[in-house]
Amino acid sequence: MGMARPISRMEREDRRFAFVLLAPALVATGLLILYPMYLVVMLSLREGKSMNFLDSSGLPLGLSHYRDVLSDPATWASAVTTLVYTAGSMGPAFLGGFAFALLLNERFPGRRWLRSLALLPWAVPGVLVSVLFLWLLDASYGIVNAALRDLGLISRDVAWFTDERTAMAAVIAPTIWKSMPFFTLTILAALQAVPEELYEAARMDGANRLQRLRFVTWPAVRGAAVLALVLNTLWAFREFDIIFATTGGGPYRATETLGIRAYQEAFSYFEIGRACVLGMVMLAFAMVLVLAARRPLQKEFF
Amino acid sequence: MRELRLSLAAVVLTGIILFPIYWMLVTASVPSHIVLSRSPPLIPQWSDMTFAAYAGVLGRRPVGTWLVNSVVVACASVALSLVIATLAGYSLSRFRSRAQEASGLTLLVSKMLPGSLIVIPFYIMFANAGLVNNRLALVIANTSVGVPFATWMMKGFFDGIPPDMDAAARIDGCNRMQALWYVVLPAAKPGIAACAVYLFIVAWADFVFARTLVTDPRLWTVTTGLASFVGEHNVDWPGLMAAGTLSMLPVFILFLLLEPFLVSGLSAGSVK
Repeated sequence: MGMARPISRMEREDRRFAFVLLAPALVATGLLILYPMYLVVMLSLREGKSMNFLDSSGLPLGLSHYRDVLSDPATWASAVTTLVYTAGSMGPAFLGGFAFALLLNERFPGRRWLRSLALLPWAVPGVLVSVLFLWLLDASYGIVNAALRDLGLISRDVAWFTDERTAMAAVIAPTIWKSMPFFTLTILAALQAVPEELYEAARMDGANRLQRLRFVTWPAVRGAAVLALVLNTLWAFREFDIIFATTGGGPYRATETLGIRAYQEAFSYFEIGRACVLGMVMLAFAMVLVLAARRPLQKEFF
Repeated sequence: MRELRLSLAAVVLTGIILFPIYWMLVTASVPSHIVLSRSPPLIPQWSDMTFAAYAGVLGRRPVGTWLVNSVVVACASVALSLVIATLAGYSLSRFRSRAQEASGLTLLVSKMLPGSLIVIPFYIMFANAGLVNNRLALVIANTSVGVPFATWMMKGFFDGIPPDMDAAARIDGCNRMQALWYVVLPAAKPGIAACAVYLFIVAWADFVFARTLVTDPRLWTVTTGLASFVGEHNVDWPGLMAAGTLSMLPVFILFLLLEPFLVSGLSAGSVK
């Protein structure tokens, strides 16, 4: 009895201390994540459109925005655009990042420096990435067109960002560029944890290079690679800066992803209800991905 | 021989990867008639080097103001997020509670939330609070992104510091706060530094909040400023590349100083 009391007091004080330290983060999360999400849900449920952008509380609740948005073919066109953009950038970025990680995992002079340099695009702000590629792919003075002209691959200038047929590729290129370092770094970290003995054993068993990649390397890095793919895909799915600062969703909606569309609905047409429904659609897609990838995510986050 | 070949391949590939940055630097540092040509030289002459584009863009556009705004907003965001996240990270690392699971979930949710969606309620909240066209709104908005991942990172760093250290400090007469302040935090300095760099890079890159919550050009950050060049009839490419180079300076400096932290932190995978 005499012993139990001081321990429980210690525990109580520990608890209080733990809570006090946690409190600012709880307030921030509540105020800046939970409450805004609650607002989004409520705004998506208001009928009609308020005259006052800031106050929709007078409108009745209902599902009319959901009906309108979900039955609008433009929504599904944007959903397809988003998926094409996400898959089109994540596929090459993953393969490129993986290949580059394999290269950097080899022993050669200067690899530490190259590893750091190759990380640089990750730190470049999305808007600057946009601007760099707008310049590289400029129709008249862009160095890409100049190179293609020199090689005889094009006879007329390609207006990469303003031509409907090339705009998607033009926004995918900077996205690949910015997201590749993350793949390289995370996969490289996993590669460096593979014990050398495994490769030696495989070599002694007569495995060739491709077989070693398939049966030794891949199983060892799969967890990290899948996690990187999921995180990067979640990022590309909601990416806004690169598309907005280059094409703004155009030309003729060729690059109008759900994120761009939600933003335009809210801040160009002041259709807050529609914008919030589009946001809910995005969250639903993200949720499907998270549920599909819950195993690797669980290991990382719980 | 094999080493040399690998080295060469890696150098060439890194060169290709870094080409957009190289081309920005080149465009900003040679006279415009050289790059505004149908066949610009890949490697310009040293003697052509000039800072005219920098001088020009600084004279025509308030690039200096944008940079100052960005520095103010980014530094304040880092400070606010870092204090909140360090305290919370320590609490999550040392004391078992249900908040631990919740913090992972919060991080995951924040990775799912599109910036272009969350900015809608933010706009309404800040407008009602009279904070539109106020840099404080950007600081708070950036904190919403920074706190979840910084808390998670700091928890990881604190997990790597043995709890015996706190216990020993307690036996020596420190209270809980003193143990954290005088013993644990000094040991966590490298982690705090890495976390600060990440927070800075993320806040520095913010565009959606800056573009939406601030409309007064005097309060623009450098990302909004850069975006304002685009879509003009005759884009001033050398000037834009000069402004872009200036906007990358803090990032370059952080890279040079803190590169080892960055690599290890990014490998841990919590930032994206």
